[in-house]
Amino acid sequence: MSPASGTESDPTRKQRREQAREQRRAVEAAAAAQAARRTRLIQLGGVIGAVVVIVAVILVATSGGGSSTPKVGHSTSDPEAKTVANLLKGIPQSGNVLGNPNAPVTLKYFGDLECPICKEFTLGAFPTLIEKYVRPGKLKVEYLSMETATHEPEVFKTQQVAAYAAGKQNLGWYFIELFYHEQGQEATGYVTESYLQDLAQQVPGLNLPNWSAARNDPALSEEVTKDAQIVSQQGFTGTPSFLVGKTGGTLTKLEAPNLEEASEFESAINKLLK
Amino acid sequence: MSDRALRTTMIVLTVIGVGLASYLTYIHYAGIHPLCTTGGSCEEVQTSAYSKLAGVPVALIGLIGYVVILASLLAPANENTRLATMALALGGFGFSAYLTSRELFSIHAICEWCVSSAILMTVLACLAVWRFLRGEAPPVASSGEPDPAAPLTAAGS
Repeated sequence: MSPASGTESDPTRKQRREQAREQRRAVEAAAAAQAARRTRLIQLGGVIGAVVVIVAVILVATSGGGSSTPKVGHSTSDPEAKTVANLLKGIPQSGNVLGNPNAPVTLKYFGDLECPICKEFTLGAFPTLIEKYVRPGKLKVEYLSMETATHEPEVFKTQQVAAYAAGKQNLGWYFIELFYHEQGQEATGYVTESYLQDLAQQVPGLNLPNWSAARNDPALSEEVTKDAQIVSQQGFTGTPSFLVGKTGGTLTKLEAPNLEEASEFESAINKLLK
Repeated sequence: MSDRALRTTMIVLTVIGVGLASYLTYIHYAGIHPLCTTGGSCEEVQTSAYSKLAGVPVALIGLIGYVVILASLLAPANENTRLATMALALGGFGFSAYLTSRELFSIHAICEWCVSSAILMTVLACLAVWRFLRGEAPPVASSGEPDPAAPLTAAGS
């Protein structure tokens, strides 16, 4: 009996030990797996958190939100600012150039921001040209300064440089368009520092401290002077004046008596696009 | 799905992504119009103010992203490379979400190339998270499906 029971009990004890060992191993493995899973979940949470923060920063930096949101005066909810934003949204800008840099046709627009006839063109024929040629990448428009309606040279330079300073953030056309849309009565001295500041605050995404700093850049002031030299070379006498031609080629004067209709511009551009 | 099959699927998706982003980068620098079945909306998106981030074309950022994800997938599989793939794919997913939101709410135009890339990146991110969370490749059961209890029962059998 006893030897028999001994042979039966020995393997059982061994088996029990083995079972206990296996159970211990299993528990340890389960604990290790759980710890690894917890670590992975923490890492996943960290990555998701970092991605959310990065995307939020990009959103704020590219939306003109935060500090560059208009603080006083007008806002993009104003009808004029909204019109301009809708007109220009999605169109690339580089300095004073509106449109695809590789557009086959170039139009140079010589204007004075206080000139009411320029306003007539900007609000008349120009939106059609933007939708029909600039937005599809067929035409790029460069804005140049020519003093006509602004009687004080200093004021002229200040306002044109203010637009070029916005151009340094590739938002110059917002400033130009807003200026024309909100243009005051000629020779009433309405262009003051607060007027320019107010306009700048309506430009979506404009970094105001950078804009203010750029206004002191002598290169922008020189640009206005260079524009005047081109004006005198071309013999222009009034604003708006235009040069048009194939990009990279010779530009010729474009006479358009009716600035509210785009037809004369269209026929000139269509010829160049053929 | 075995880890090998999952990794291969992700590599194939990433190579497609590299192709997509290469095309968009090429047309950006060549200044040509993208092929688009939705009229001029692709071009509108490609030439918008949001087509660059800090002066760098987003198409190029996407191409770099896909190439780095591909590199992480081709590296020897371990905990670190799986984590890197997941982090990169989730980053790509977040960036795609940002770009899609810009298309919908800022540019008001949809570029099918960008949407394709966004879908690709979403699938990649899901697969990368799944691959990372399940960790080391579990033993493959006869059916080819991983047995969730395998590590425990294997020791006891």
